[in-house]
Amino acid sequence: MTVPRSFQAFAVVFAATFAVAYFVCVYKNYALFTYHPAIYEWGLGVQKPKDGPAMYWFGWMATSGIVAAIVAAVAAWLPEPVTRRLWSGLSWAVPVAVMVVFCYLLRGYFTR
Amino acid sequence: MFTFLLIVHGLLAVALLGATTHQALSVWLPARKPAGSFVGRLRSVPATSYANAIVVLYLATAVLGAVIYTEYRVVVRIVLEQLDMWKTNGAFELKEHLATVALGVLPAYWYFWRAPLAVEHARTRAMLTALLAFVVWWNFLVGHVVNNVRGFGS
Repeated sequence: MTVPRSFQAFAVVFAATFAVAYFVCVYKNYALFTYHPAIYEWGLGVQKPKDGPAMYWFGWMATSGIVAAIVAAVAAWLPEPVTRRLWSGLSWAVPVAVMVVFCYLLRGYFTR
Repeated sequence: MFTFLLIVHGLLAVALLGATTHQALSVWLPARKPAGSFVGRLRSVPATSYANAIVVLYLATAVLGAVIYTEYRVVVRIVLEQLDMWKTNGAFELKEHLATVALGVLPAYWYFWRAPLAVEHARTRAMLTALLAFVVWWNFLVGHVVNNVRGFGS
């Protein structure tokens, strides 16, 4: 299977952007949609709980997936001399940093 | 139905755990000579052959996990909160977020593990493999603990 060289830029930028965008979505609650598992109902955007808890996780993933796909597509479209300078380590360094920030954000669960 | 899906999710996770562990060990602790022992053979697998399987298994496990997560949110998490099991609850919250962040690195992971392997990306490949292995181990152990809180069929 032949993969265009621009896919490297897409994949690296997607990994880094998705991690950051997902963190922002969780922190600011930018969910594209809400799921109400108790009544099996989906709703557009961030909705308040109805007859049970509201789940925003699917919506956070959708928002960050769209943002990351757009940013990564732009990066892949850039000329090769520019994308060649992109450090491939961004694909793991940024996600690792975001994972550490999540540990910090959730520390309250482990210290109460 | 959810019990069946949970069992399939667990079985897929076991396969994923084995694949990521094999690959991570063969990348970080490669066997220098022909393996004779069990641990030696564990480290001497051809790491490249695991990449596609890991991507497929991760996606399948994540999709099933997302389906049963809805049941967890209604049936299990509320109980954890009522029982003041905050550490267990927090560990699962972390599982949810780590699984999602790792989902985003899959395209890069797949790309850098394509044959022929680019020598200049060896470090990136190793780090992505370690990241995935860590997330899979964390999620497997936390899922196991949370599953044990309520017990089978409760």
